[in-house]
Amino acid sequence: MENLNKKILLVDDDLDLLEQNKMLLESKGYKVVTASNMKDAMDTFKKEKPDACVLDLIMEEHDAGFVLSHKIKRDEYGKTIPVFLLTSATYVTGMKFGASTSEEQEWIHADGWFDKPINIEQLTTKLEESFEEYKKK
Amino acid sequence: MEEIKQEEIKQEEIKPKVLIVDDERGLRIGTKRILQSEGYIVDVAENGTEGIELGTKNDYDLAIIDLKMPDVDGIEVLKTIKKSRPNTICYIATAFASFDTAIEATKLGAQSYIPKPFTTEELLKHLETGFEKRLLILESERLRKEREERLLEIAYEKSRLNTIVNSIADGVIVVNKTGELVLFNPASLKFFELNEIIIGEKILGILPGEISDLIKKILETEKYENKSYSSQVELKPNRELFVDVTCSPVPHPDGSLAGVVIVINNITELKKLEHVKSQFVSMVAHELKAPMAAVMGFMNLILDDSMGIKPEQQKDYISRSTKRLQGLIEMVNDLLDISRMEIKKKEREIKELNIAEILKSNVDFLELELKKKGVTVTSNFEADLPPVKADNNEINRLYTNILSNALKYNKDNGTIDISVYKSGSFVVSKISDTGIGMKPAEKEKLFQEFFRVKNDQTRNIPGTGLGLAIVKRIVESYSGKIEVESEFGKGTTFIIKFPFKH
Repeated sequence: MENLNKKILLVDDDLDLLEQNKMLLESKGYKVVTASNMKDAMDTFKKEKPDACVLDLIMEEHDAGFVLSHKIKRDEYGKTIPVFLLTSATYVTGMKFGASTSEEQEWIHADGWFDKPINIEQLTTKLEESFEEYKKK
Repeated sequence: MEEIKQEEIKQEEIKPKVLIVDDERGLRIGTKRILQSEGYIVDVAENGTEGIELGTKNDYDLAIIDLKMPDVDGIEVLKTIKKSRPNTICYIATAFASFDTAIEATKLGAQSYIPKPFTTEELLKHLETGFEKRLLILESERLRKEREERLLEIAYEKSRLNTIVNSIADGVIVVNKTGELVLFNPASLKFFELNEIIIGEKILGILPGEISDLIKKILETEKYENKSYSSQVELKPNRELFVDVTCSPVPHPDGSLAGVVIVINNITELKKLEHVKSQFVSMVAHELKAPMAAVMGFMNLILDDSMGIKPEQQKDYISRSTKRLQGLIEMVNDLLDISRMEIKKKEREIKELNIAEILKSNVDFLELELKKKGVTVTSNFEADLPPVKADNNEINRLYTNILSNALKYNKDNGTIDISVYKSGSFVVSKISDTGIGMKPAEKEKLFQEFFRVKNDQTRNIPGTGLGLAIVKRIVESYSGKIEVESEFGKGTTFIIKFPFKH
């Protein structure tokens, strides 16, 4: 399988969800490194150089996922990998849980969004598609 | 007064009032008799002085004044009466008529000149004509007055309406059928940040497009239809200025369309509140969904045979799910408390409460858990504390939240110091712990709904993030104050002040 040695950085401040998603991704053959706050996430990203990132949206700060995505996508290495955001509130209810303008979208620069709880089949399909796309770039 | 007089005149239409001024007794009495028999009401004056007195005091319809009298001559009498009673029809009667006196008399306002001696017919003919003239004068006078009054009334009504329209805080604009400005008030200028608009100007192009569109909807129908259109328009972005605009057709008396009245109501505050509320709903949705997602994730892992979860691991997942569900229940309870507080403020049972007693009973309630963590409580209650008027359940809830935080975030074998004392017109309670403390940025957000300090130390401490939000709501609803002092790593002190009545 293509993904056998692919490494995913998974970030979530909900330790239960972090553990579950780690197990799910591992069951699909990925290597998973985790972090549960912004600082650890950045450190792990730099150290591990993952092949993709899956970031929870709301951590200590409500826009932590946005900021993290922004930072990774501006990194020389980060530019070359797909970044996905996880959220438990995808519908727009007046609160900024999503990018509402194209400017914001550009600033965040994520490759996709996933609703919680994760549907692992959807996530792996999307990951594989992205790997293919990034390989072409 | 004026009206009553006019009434009198009307009623006496058949009986004209006549004043006869003559120094010749026989003529006075003779004329009086003739006129009375003809239905006149007659007063007589036997000299000029008396004539002036009566003629100025009463508003006679007619007066017959003798020209030559020993005291004051007729011309003088005529002049004086005419001056104060311009509508009395006066006749000068004399045997010594000259052309000059006749002219002078007419110039001074005499109706005409009756040469003496006169026949009954001659006199009556004169008086009848005179009386007709008198009635016409009075009628035209009445009409003139009426018109003047009405004009005044209209002017007053108009200026009053203007003042009212100008005083309305809502913007009011009226346009005619062709979209030209008919009326506006200062508030409407403020909304659109215009310095002035000119009556008669075509204003559809000046107004924001959304508002012009509403107006056009009415104007384009051409026929008058009693149907209003409203819309909420954001005049300045980011909810800085939000208005509700209602356009209603104005009918002509014949039922056709005359124009449109536009009322602009500032709803910025309402919109801000709505935003806060929807933000709160979003937060609630998120906070509820996170634990549900976790529980669902565990269940899916257990159910998925391919994952090969071992029985002891399954048990761990189930117990962790239970914990998340427990948290969920607590959060729902807190949310219910918040909404109950908002809805049922009036159903409170206000009693005189002793804050020290409430704190004591709360500490007793926590005894077991305090022992478990080895936390000791020291308390210092001032004697003779004045009672605070409040609802017992709410105040208990408040101190339960504060004390359970002091315990939850304390270190093992730490202490909680409680003191209650009087300061000014407040009963102050101070609860200090020796716990993990907070950074200044965290302290700022402490009372926000769903805010929780998140770090490695707090990770395993359960909480809904609503406890202190509830505390703050309770304190403020009794006009109290809450302050926090905290040092990261050392501990936190909550100072709660409730006002009491002296």
